[in-house]
Formats: sequence, C-alpha cells, structure tokens
Amino acid sequence: MTTLSITAVPTNAECRCMLADGRILTITASRRPRANRADVKCTVPGAPAVAERMQEVVRLARHTEVRFDSRDQVVLSMDITPPIEDREWELAAVLADRMVRGLHAIPAKALYAQGSSDAWHLGSIQGEVNTDPPISQALLITHLGALTGHADPSASVSTVRTWFPLHSGRINDALGWVEVSVFPIDSDAAPIEESANATHTAAANSEEDTIAAPGLDLTVQQEVRQTLAGARHFDGKGLGRWRSVVRFGQPRFQGGSYQLALVMADRLARGREFVPRGRIIATGCSTAWHAGRVETVDDREPKLELIMRQAAAGDRVLLPKDWHDQLPPGYASELRQKGASVACIDRIGMI
Amino acid sequence: MGLFTRRRKPASDTGGLGVSLIALRLDEGDVAPAAATVVVFNAAGHARRCSAGKVSCEQGESVFCFHPGPYTVDLAPFAAAPEWGLRLRFVVDAANPRVTQQRFDLYLYSETAGRLELADFAAAAEIALQAELAQGALELPPCTSLEEWHAFRAGLNQLMYTRYGVTVDDCVPVDLGEQVDFAEVLKARVQRAAEADRQAAPAPAPAETPPGRSGETHTLSAAPPTAAAPQLNAASCEAVSSPSPIVLPAAQQDARALRRLFLELPVLSSELRLLALPAGLPVFQQHQALLLRLGMAILNVNTMPALAWAAPDQPLSPEAQARRTAQTLVAQTALDEAWSLLARLQLASPEQWPQLLDDADRICANLETGLSLRRSPHLPRMEPSL
Repeated sequence: MTTLSITAVPTNAECRCMLADGRILTITASRRPRANRADVKCTVPGAPAVAERMQEVVRLARHTEVRFDSRDQVVLSMDITPPIEDREWELAAVLADRMVRGLHAIPAKALYAQGSSDAWHLGSIQGEVNTDPPISQALLITHLGALTGHADPSASVSTVRTWFPLHSGRINDALGWVEVSVFPIDSDAAPIEESANATHTAAANSEEDTIAAPGLDLTVQQEVRQTLAGARHFDGKGLGRWRSVVRFGQPRFQGGSYQLALVMADRLARGREFVPRGRIIATGCSTAWHAGRVETVDDREPKLELIMRQAAAGDRVLLPKDWHDQLPPGYASELRQKGASVACIDRIGMI
Repeated sequence: MGLFTRRRKPASDTGGLGVSLIALRLDEGDVAPAAATVVVFNAAGHARRCSAGKVSCEQGESVFCFHPGPYTVDLAPFAAAPEWGLRLRFVVDAANPRVTQQRFDLYLYSETAGRLELADFAAAAEIALQAELAQGALELPPCTSLEEWHAFRAGLNQLMYTRYGVTVDDCVPVDLGEQVDFAEVLKARVQRAAEADRQAAPAPAPAETPPGRSGETHTLSAAPPTAAAPQLNAASCEAVSSPSPIVLPAAQQDARALRRLFLELPVLSSELRLLALPAGLPVFQQHQALLLRLGMAILNVNTMPALAWAAPDQPLSPEAQARRTAQTLVAQTALDEAWSLLARLQLASPEQWPQLLDDADRICANLETGLSLRRSPHLPRMEPSL
C-alpha cells in the first residue's frame, strides 16, 4: 500500500541538540510510505557508526510506545557529524522521530533536546528539553513519560508533574508546572500512623511535617502544605503514608490558582487517580480542600486563551465549575479537535 | 479385541465452576453440573450448545462447559494507578439467535487451552482495557464527568461483548486501596533494584548495564525488530506489579497465535461485512478495500509455511524461528486491535468513520507486515542505512 498515515501531521520535523563542543546539531526527520522498506533509516555524513547507533536508539525507544504503526518509513538525518563519543543527540533523535509521527506536539519554536540512555527500551533517560535555550528554562526529565508528566513505572519514587496557566500580562503568559514526588514512609515512623487516627488537626499537622517544598517562601510553603494535607484528608487513604517533596518550575508567582494542579499531581503520584494520556492542565483553588471542593479563580479569559494555545493531543484540562457557563462558544469542541478534553468541576474525585 | 482397554481417567474437576472458574474442557463421559451450559465443537469448529448432563460426543469433537455467572472482577484501568479501579460484573449471556456463531463460543474454542479461570480472564480483560485506554480508543480521564462516564461505559460494554462475548452487567469505579498498597509496591521496587544490584555486582558486566535486562545495550549491534514492541511494553508494565508470567516456548506461541488468526479472522471479516455503513462512496470503497485486504490476510494465514523449516531439508536456526514467532505475535496483536476496532465501529457515528477507517488501515498494514515477515524464512535484505 502506498498510503501514508495521519495526514494532519506534517511530513517533516526537526529537533536540535547542543553538542558538548558548542556546535548545534539539527536532526531532521521525514516520513514517507514504507513500501516494504526498513521502518527507520538514518543518514549521517561520513559516520556510518553514528547512523547505525541512531537507528538502534530510535527502534529501542519505540518499544515504549503503545501504538504500533507499520505504514510509514521515517528517515532521520543529521546536518553535521557529532564526535563518536558524544551521545547527547540521542534524545533529539527520539523526539524528532516522535514529532514526525504525531506522537509529540511540534512546538512553534525549534526544540532543543540533550540526553542519552543505556536503556531506551525502558524509556529511562537523563536529559533535558528546551524550547528557547538562553531564555527559557530547561525541562529536566529522567524518563520519556516525564515529557507529559507521567510517573516512571520503574522508579521507587513516584514523581508526577502537572501544568497550570500563569498569567502575567498576556505577552508573558506561560504554563507553569508543579511536581510532586512521593515515597513511602518507613514502617518505623509509627507515631505518624497513630496520629492519623486521632483528630483531624493532629493528623493534618503531622502530615504537613512530611511535606517539603524547597525554594519557596514561607507563606507559599505553608499554603502548599495545608492544601496537600487537606486534599489527602479528603482522599481517606492519603494520610500518614507518604513523605512528599513539591517543586515548582517557576517559584516566584502570586495567587493560589496552582492548587488544583498541585492536588491532581499529588493524587496521580499516589496512584489514586485515573491517568490522562497527555498532560493535566488545571487551574482552580479552594478554601476547603478537606471537603474536595474546587472554587473559581481570576483572569479567566487570558487563561482560557493560553490553554487553547498550549493544549496538545491527549491533554486533560480541568477548570472550576463557575467557568462552565462563561466558556467561549465552541471552546470544548475546539479542544476536542486538538485531541484534548476539558471538564469543569466543582469537586475532585470521580464524577 | 478389547485386550487393551483404555484406563478410565479421573473425571474433570468442575469445582469452583461459576465462582472462580468460568469454563473448562470436558471429556466423553464427564458430567456437567446442572447450572452449566455445554458447548460441543465438531471437527470443523462449528459449535452447538446443549443442556447440562452427561457429555456424549463423537470422534473429533471437543466439549466445553461454562457457567453463565454472574462473575465479579476488579480491574485496574491504569497500571500507574493501582489503587483506583473498576468493579465489573458480567455474565455469559444465553445464545443470541440472530448470529450463527456465538462470540463466547469462538473465544472458548480459539483462546482457551483447558480451563478458563476467572483470574486469567480478568488479567486478559485488564490488558485489553489498558491498551484501549492508552491508545485513546476509550477515554477515562481524571475527574470524569457524567457524559464521559456514560461514553466510557458504552465503549466498555461493546468491547467486552465484541472481544470476549461476555455481557457487562454493572461497572462501578471502586477504591482498591484495601487490596493494593501503592506504598508497598514502591518499596518492593526499591528491594528489587537492590537485589538486582547485588546480583550484578560480582558479574564482570560494565556498571552502566541496566541490571536484569542486560540483553539490550548499545554494544549490541543488531537491534531487535520493532515488532516486539507491544509484548515488551506490556512486559515492562507488568513488571511493576507482578512477576512475569510463564513464557511458552516459541514454537507453541507461534502455533497458538496462528490458530487464533486462522479461526478468528474469517469471523472478524464477516462481522465487519455486516456493519451498517454511513452513506457515501468513499466510506464504501474503503470498507470494500478493507474486506479485500482481510481476505488476502486470511489466505496468507491459511497457507502459512511451517515455523522450523526454510525449505525442505533446510532447517531454520532457533534465532530465525524466534524472529518468525515475534512476527506472528505482531499479527496477533493486530487481530486483538481489530476486534476492539470492530467494537468501536459498531458504535460509531458517521463523522467518526473516516478516523476509524484510518485506524483500520493501520491495523491491516500491521497484520500484513507481520504475516509477510513471518512467511519469509530470512530477514529480507533492507536498503543500506547509508
């Protein structure tokens, strides 16, 4: 058959990589009907060994995907030849291969990615992704699923990242992320277990002691702790089991609209929430997390616009219930066309 | 002459039928319990259902008996969220008089080896559900709204009926926190990693080699075929919660997968033919092309050469056989996906058809690729990578 798959995705994509010697390497991927050829073909000027390694990397990384499509051949090429011992281009090759097949959104600006791995078939990796190297901050990832904030299925610390819109005068609006890492409290920490059965305040206080939020100022830190302790109280089985660390991509911000994203990240990290295919983008706060209530936040229009610009296939957008009647006409269906879905909620949890 | 009469083997154990056992295979002379239904398959694979009692069958016939249930299983729809689950109650319904072959009978005949335990069935259904959710065929996002839940339920019911022939009675989200402790799972990962480190330490392997999975590092020149993707992925997901199940030898896996393809592809193709198409020529043409390609795939399966031989007098090496088996499993995965696609097509509205037909194109391409690589005794020469 000479048909190509999904026609909405462009047949070319490129990803860049900053090599150790400072040069910038561009990996270009293109897609064409497979027609009984190899599924991946790689060319590097003057370095067949690098090309062979690139083919192997891309094939191994494809083992972490759920959807197998044999219709296309992907051809990858490098514009300059990296030194054989420099392997930082590997993540860029994998991302270019994913972008050209529509598995990873193609950003408006060129994407820079550095990273290498010895276990690509498990998706584990030490790397970083950046859209605008000197200005924007790099997204550090330790496995491929972390690009959409998912927890590493083999790590002993469960780390989940969610996104929330940060409004700063329209032009600088951006999605900020919050990351929650949880790991189990050792069984010898008995006092906490006992106090979980005591009154709510005692339980919540000891729960707050297990939550660390380094790099934040004290009031925000306190707010983060109270939010998480309240939401875990609502959860029923959340108290007294976890030691947690909360990190923000951008620690200087105002307002409490990150709270819903934080709570969702915490629930996902503890394995007690349905997992979205893509990222969670959420905005909302509450004065009563212990009751699971979600309340409205300010700056509705710019945030909605930003979310519409940034949403990609598989993303889940969570908004406060009050916004439901004020959504622009066709907002939900436009998001659905992008492959994302939206829900306006007044409480967390199932339905 | 009756000198060597066959010793009477002990009667099949029907205990637990209807509780922890859905169906089992019976032999001549066994007695099926009263509440169960007996299905007799003749040598050509045609099924007939009869009432319970003493089993009598002719030469070449095989007999199964199943209990209609109801059964209750807990499924975790996401491997990453083991404490959040779905409680599914399902029954095996009475025969549908409008179809010539009941789907559940086909499932028994083609996929059940001897006993269909409830736990095995639940594991298979869980994998099917997780695959559907991961591919986006079913949606169960966080903070599911009521409409989304209803859409999910409709899709799930149809999937379970089309893929396994069971009717979902009731499905509710449940908190599995009492049975699964995610904290314990994480602790077990720490222990496993430490154990693997301990084992890897005395070995002369380089330190960067991932413990336990040292087969595939960058020093290995030949990349495994992309083909093994779904299996490997499933295996790595599986490793999270439980030790990997017993792996059958390659030849047996290949034979089972080919048998499934041989039995199920014609039924699948005739079910696809029965769909009510939306109006319009393009959809009709694509549908016809799909049926034609499936027909060619059926022919391909029916004439598949033996696993172990490249040609008469030329046996294949075990590696080449393993490669061929991997390709059969690709085709089998495509078959599973085709069943779930059929379920989606049965529910689809006209505007969803083009997208689903694109998916059908993909599944057909995967099926054809798998079968053609299974057929060729050696890896075909690919174009050079330069």
